Amino acid sequence: MTVGRLAIPVVVAALALLLSGCGEEPWYGKEITGLMPELEFELTDESGQSVTEAVFRGRPVAVYFGFTHCPDICPTTLARLTAAARRLPGELGEDLQLAFVSVDPGRDDPGQLARYTGAFSERMLGLTGNQRQLRSLTRRYRVTYGYEEPDESGDYEVSHSSAVFVFDARGEPRLMLLDSLSVQEMAHDLELLLAESSV
Amino acid sequence: MKQLSAIAAVVVLLAGAVWWVMQMEPAEPLEIENARMRLVPGGAPMAGYMVLRNHSDELIRLVGANSDAFGRVMIHRTVVEDGQARMEHQHGGVTIAPGEAVEFKPRDLHLMLMQPQAELEVGDTVEVALTFEGLTPAERLQAFTVVPVTAQ
Repeated sequence: MTVGRLAIPVVVAALALLLSGCGEEPWYGKEITGLMPELEFELTDESGQSVTEAVFRGRPVAVYFGFTHCPDICPTTLARLTAAARRLPGELGEDLQLAFVSVDPGRDDPGQLARYTGAFSERMLGLTGNQRQLRSLTRRYRVTYGYEEPDESGDYEVSHSSAVFVFDARGEPRLMLLDSLSVQEMAHDLELLLAESSV
Repeated sequence: MKQLSAIAAVVVLLAGAVWWVMQMEPAEPLEIENARMRLVPGGAPMAGYMVLRNHSDELIRLVGANSDAFGRVMIHRTVVEDGQARMEHQHGGVTIAPGEAVEFKPRDLHLMLMQPQAELEVGDTVEVALTFEGLTPAERLQAFTVVPVTAQ
């Protein structure tokens, strides 16, 4: 009896906590604020220039790790990201930068990257680097990439991270947008994050 | 009068039954719908998508594909595990069970169309020869429509 009377408020409190917890999670993506270090890299951009994270300084950026010989998931995710960015209201949308980091420098030279990113958005910057530079950047965000053995024609597969990493204007990592999110869900998260950081 | 309307009713019913049976009996054992390929610039591989419907009572297996418009065509599936994406070559082909449909779609099964031989444009039609087991003739020419890279 005593146990029962005590248990009721505990259960009610737990339920309330659970319900409020559900209501407070505003993101469809995964929040990574404070979990990973700020954006830092040395890479080559699609015009062949050496660049660092300073190229995005003061502006939020959404970064995707992929490669151009990836006909299915890379264009699917980049197209969703581009469509989501296009849905953002005026100024918020203009602020956001998009970056495609190729982890396949063997096939993706600056010219190839420029043609590829241009098919999605003028705002998308293609980047790549040598293995040391790419390893250093991917390790920072706990993602990996790898190459399978080339087949008899010399073609090879590349494994890569499937999520989009969103950094705020200060270069702080904020969100991971999974490749399973719809355009609407990505747009929702981007708008919320950009509106918050522009205050 | 009564007899006439009874005959009319029988005729209508029969016509309906014939129409129904014709609807059920597809002309082709294999139907291919919505065949499209997404244009990727710069000579990089493109992905081909479609729906394959097996209307026959036998297993049909897609075992290969080739096209004059591409140096090489492979059957792949994208697999995402723990946030890592990779492509799996479908060595044994893709099986379509009797009465079932298999969809080649983004983030899943796709034709990997490599080394485009000419610059393609959105709206172009490209023929791809699909090779099957369990189908006669084994090879089928299918027209794919070139769609923008941003199409899903």
